[in-house]
Amino acid sequence: MMLARAAADFYWMGRYLERAEQTARLLDHQLNRLVDTPAAELAHSWRVLYGAVGMAPPSVPEEADEAEAFLIADAYTLAGALVEDETRPHSIISCWSQARENAKQLRPWLPVPVWTSLNRGFLWMRESDFAAAWAMGPPVLVRDAIDRLRLLGGVADAMMPRDDAWRFLELGRIVERLQHQTVLLDTWDTLGPPDGTSTSAWWGDLLRVCGAYELYCRSRSMVVRREAALAFLVRNPELPRSLRFAANRTGELLSDIDPAGARYPLTPPHRMALHLAAAVEMDPHGEETPGEGHGAAGSDSFDALLGDSRTLHDMIMAAYVAYPVEEGLPT
Amino acid sequence: MPNSIGTSLDERFGDEPRTCTAGSGAFAHYELDPAIYDEMFHGDGSPRETCRRLGSALARASPEDLAALQDGVARRFLHEGITFTVLGRAEMSEHIIPIDCIPRVLSAEEWDHVDRGLRQRITALNMFLEDIYHEGRSLRDGVVPAELVLGCPQYRVQMRGLKVPHGAYVSICGTDVVRTRDGFAVLEDNLRVPSGVSYMLACRTAMKHAYPRLYRAHEVREIAGYPADLYATLASLGSWGRTPRVAVLTPGRYNSAYYEHAFLAGEMGAMLVEGRDLVVHDAVLYVRTVAGLKRIDVVYRRIDDDFLDPVTFREDSVLGVAGLFEAYRAGNVVIANAPGTGVADDKAVYAFVPGIIRYFLDEEPILANVETHLCREPDGLAYTIDNIEDLVVKEVGGSGGYGMLVGSHASAAEREEFLARLRADPTNYISQPVLALSRAGCFVDGRLEPRHVDLRPFVLRGRDEIRIAPGGLCRVALRKGTLVVNSSQGGGCKDLWILRGDAEGAR
Repeated sequence: MMLARAAADFYWMGRYLERAEQTARLLDHQLNRLVDTPAAELAHSWRVLYGAVGMAPPSVPEEADEAEAFLIADAYTLAGALVEDETRPHSIISCWSQARENAKQLRPWLPVPVWTSLNRGFLWMRESDFAAAWAMGPPVLVRDAIDRLRLLGGVADAMMPRDDAWRFLELGRIVERLQHQTVLLDTWDTLGPPDGTSTSAWWGDLLRVCGAYELYCRSRSMVVRREAALAFLVRNPELPRSLRFAANRTGELLSDIDPAGARYPLTPPHRMALHLAAAVEMDPHGEETPGEGHGAAGSDSFDALLGDSRTLHDMIMAAYVAYPVEEGLPT
Repeated sequence: MPNSIGTSLDERFGDEPRTCTAGSGAFAHYELDPAIYDEMFHGDGSPRETCRRLGSALARASPEDLAALQDGVARRFLHEGITFTVLGRAEMSEHIIPIDCIPRVLSAEEWDHVDRGLRQRITALNMFLEDIYHEGRSLRDGVVPAELVLGCPQYRVQMRGLKVPHGAYVSICGTDVVRTRDGFAVLEDNLRVPSGVSYMLACRTAMKHAYPRLYRAHEVREIAGYPADLYATLASLGSWGRTPRVAVLTPGRYNSAYYEHAFLAGEMGAMLVEGRDLVVHDAVLYVRTVAGLKRIDVVYRRIDDDFLDPVTFREDSVLGVAGLFEAYRAGNVVIANAPGTGVADDKAVYAFVPGIIRYFLDEEPILANVETHLCREPDGLAYTIDNIEDLVVKEVGGSGGYGMLVGSHASAAEREEFLARLRADPTNYISQPVLALSRAGCFVDGRLEPRHVDLRPFVLRGRDEIRIAPGGLCRVALRKGTLVVNSSQGGGCKDLWILRGDAEGAR
């Protein structure tokens, strides 16, 4: 029997841990490109990165436009804001700290090794010296953070029983992933490749960021086209970071959380999960139409998906956490 | 780290006896004071029988070994987040409770004496509480002044005439026991929401990890059954016909003892709830779950009476749940400890506990009280004012080391300020002599030195059984010379080993 508030904490803990890993993963990719990428291209990809996490760049003059801002700012500052700035909600330290605050409320439900792994990771991150780590090599600290987050994921996977606590943790992760991936794909597609960059390289980078490049090459081609890459990232059911995977997994988790909801009538969040799965299936970015150029399928469908996924979040809270007393009384 | 160090230290002691003497070798900085009882050594510097094996092992360990062991134990607390929150600061801050890596050791005989005294005390106090909320015989017979009880802020008129299941007003008690050269004495009874049991258990886990062989060799009595005993105690308070649903009611994560609330709920398989998770409907208490509202049978509350129910007690409380007392009065839920128990651990009522024991049990108290002067009485006030330099003056409702003055450690200005408050409201104060608390061996600043300690055993009283974990939270004043053991004021904790049988294992 899962306490409603604890379910919300597990859900948010999952969201924050996923968010921390997303920021770290995007940043890791960017920092690895510092060595051999022209400044203009780097500025463009910083803009994509910040757009994907919904943040404004730090320390730039007010009069600078968005594109200029990323040309003016230096990599150390831009990376630092995403790693150690506790005032920014998508920074790695903020997300880790928020997940820890949720976990504190969950001590009776969390196996000790899971809490310890989360707590040790946070203490390590908080005590890390970003400047010193940067001197060792810009990606070092971020890569260590990713390793620790994945270690935590592994410990949780190994130690937690598959009960509602686990399901809400997973649900938080997967809803966060659905929203983040939708924004990432939209931002990447909207901003497009910078001048002088090959289309194949640009979309190949997106596949790499999403951990999909090798699978894409094996199953498709080493030449990456926009429509094919988007189709892959939207509809491939085997890819953990595809929208389809996230939508399907959401439906499965909601079925397990509320077995009665798997029968008619479905609970509102479960209905919305099925709606999302259908919407992803019908998304025009999934249609490969040879000859169409960049932007043929625009942001509208991504906007709609993002809106639906936010509604899904609200429905989960309304169904399991903040329901009216009279609806919750035993019959 | 702790494992390898612990094993390494353990391996240093063998069958060959090794002399350990206060003032020499590893204990070179261990200074004995003839006025203070030392838990580890006799007055002549030779080790007490119970500590001979431990002392021998410590004598063999280098300061570096002990430092690494201390570091490993502290690191374990850090990683596991065994924390408390310091109150009264602008920013609530989370602290790791300091732990000392040297256990305190008591023999079976010593513990048996304490155990019997605690059983006697909780029995009498429950009878006293039942009496003052019903017939009031003890008040009429002058065992305790009626005005002291009825005027006590912790006396709850709402409890008058209310039948508490099995007379178990106090089901969970943490009694502060000290030792002086005169023996064990009770310093205070904590009958409302005593805390510290999780630190007792955490200390034990850390010590087993640090000294696996030494621990086994000592044949220490086990305390790990406390959460199961607590659950059994709570479950015994009602007749359910099914497995009762138990909830631990916490004020939330900003409470100083939140770690403990979460720990106990987890260990008992109970729900850790806040007031906002609960709803009372038709005098039945429900908890909000993902599958709807579910009935709660027992509330182990870790919030004060005032905040339990805004309808019955403080109306501005946001920590409790409206209607809880109504559900309690209807017999639909058990609350442990019962509301109104605080009247029996008031520091002024404390002075009358020996008389309460004699009155209700017709027995002499097994554990002594500390001499207490009531400032509400003219003689007590005059004595306190005249001798404040030699006394500890306490607010009757204070706790946690707050609201008290240790006369000998305070400056003249502090004493004057305190005296002004005392004269303005003498009924709010009592005074006691400064006790020469016993000292136990600690590892401080890289060496073995004695520090003052106290002891808080935890007593459980269910339907028809009293359970006491053989051990307790041993608090230690880590700052040299200070007597204040509260964690909020620089104190720490250490494990307490109660030996089986006649301490044969320790020889």
